[in-house]
Amino acid sequence: MSTTFLGYKRANGAVGVRNRVAVISIMDNCNPVTRSICQAVDGTIPVTTLFVRGQYGRDLEIALDTLAGMGRNPNIAAVLLVGLEPGTTEEVARRIRPSGKPVESVTLQPSGTINCVAEGTRRAAKLVIAASGARREPCPVSALRVGVECGGSDTTSGLTCNPVIGALADRLVDAGGTVIISETSEFFGAEHLFAARAVNETVGKAFVQAVLRLETEAIDRGIDIRGTNPTPDNIAGGLTTIEEKALGAMAKAGSRPLMGVLTYGEEPRGRGLHFMDAPAPAVENLTAFAAAGCQLIFFGTGVGNPIGNMVSPTVKVSGNVNTLRTMADNIDFDASDILEKGAKVDPLGARLYDFALAVASGTRTTSEVLDVRETAISRFAPTI
Amino acid sequence: MPRAIVLNRADNVATLLDTGQAGDRCTLQGEAAGEVVLAHPVPFGHKVCIKPARAGGDIVKYGQVIGKAARDLAVGDHAHVHNVESARGRGDRVKA
Repeated sequence: MSTTFLGYKRANGAVGVRNRVAVISIMDNCNPVTRSICQAVDGTIPVTTLFVRGQYGRDLEIALDTLAGMGRNPNIAAVLLVGLEPGTTEEVARRIRPSGKPVESVTLQPSGTINCVAEGTRRAAKLVIAASGARREPCPVSALRVGVECGGSDTTSGLTCNPVIGALADRLVDAGGTVIISETSEFFGAEHLFAARAVNETVGKAFVQAVLRLETEAIDRGIDIRGTNPTPDNIAGGLTTIEEKALGAMAKAGSRPLMGVLTYGEEPRGRGLHFMDAPAPAVENLTAFAAAGCQLIFFGTGVGNPIGNMVSPTVKVSGNVNTLRTMADNIDFDASDILEKGAKVDPLGARLYDFALAVASGTRTTSEVLDVRETAISRFAPTI
Repeated sequence: MPRAIVLNRADNVATLLDTGQAGDRCTLQGEAAGEVVLAHPVPFGHKVCIKPARAGGDIVKYGQVIGKAARDLAVGDHAHVHNVESARGRGDRVKA
């Protein structure tokens, strides 16, 4: 079992598995400029967003922190911010600068779209040329921070892809790395088992409180969550209740102790397994992982959900033999031998670990090469 | 013959690893052995009842409660959203 991969060492000691220049929209009205710049400059990735303008309080803080967190992510060599006005743009720049990477910005006011695209293109081109001087070098697995996710789940998820991802998670934690599991609603009915793994009572209580707070919110709205979670495709895939889904989803977290509880997009301070209190739907959840500095994401899927993250390469793992046939383009790792041939979980976990190091060293994922990637920051309050 | 996997000895449902038709003899594997005769068609990945459950009783998979029986379930029944109810996040029940 190798304990190193080839990564990009950053100024602040973090290690990137990719070396991209991120062009980041500060708010929704900047997205057309961000996309134009990225079309013009190879080596950039567009990080677009909806809303931000009109958001306030904690909701605005989360939006700005999440944008900045994606900029700080070690997969990003340098950042070009695209803003409407300088004030909010500087708010995000200020939060990225401590990472030590180059941060530049252009704004639409006062010079307009054409000038903003031209200036942004010029700056992005220079940033990419400078970033391209970086070289991969051997880095310890302990430098990896990995998000574990599931989406398009069915009953194969809890038996195949999620336990295999859990076996990977245990290996990463044992090597000194960090693993984050999230999707708060997908602990309804499994929280007692996960809480029992908390490193201390404070962490256990914080985790259970996050789960019960979200359930109370759903109940207070007087709404039947069935049909939303589990989703219609989860139900078609055989999942009957959120409890059943949760018990299968939890397998992604392996078996190591729960070391800490994080808020949306928050970076862990220590190593080991962490829980992040963030909504379950994939795009907003993967965005939170990227903001928390995850360099890689492992995504278990049953009936199939192809989406990946822009900043953190997302590895799709499935153990559903039908999905592996019909959606082969979207799956990176086949775990179907468990149900088809009676294969054991752990050897597949060892294979997934080797694949994880390959992806960390530059092997590209299906969601990267097909560019099926999206960004969405969760909203917790209305705009004003 | 379709296969179904039992994950824990306490479970009263098994998960189909092949699509089964009504009348099929389904082979149990995993933490239980034997056969159940499917009373209904059960798609790939869906569950079949392997021990009778009374209305309001626990439905158990992974050795954990995954919901309550909405009505009496007999061995061989397709156990899914039409006869098993979630007990969590049920705002609809509070409203009534």
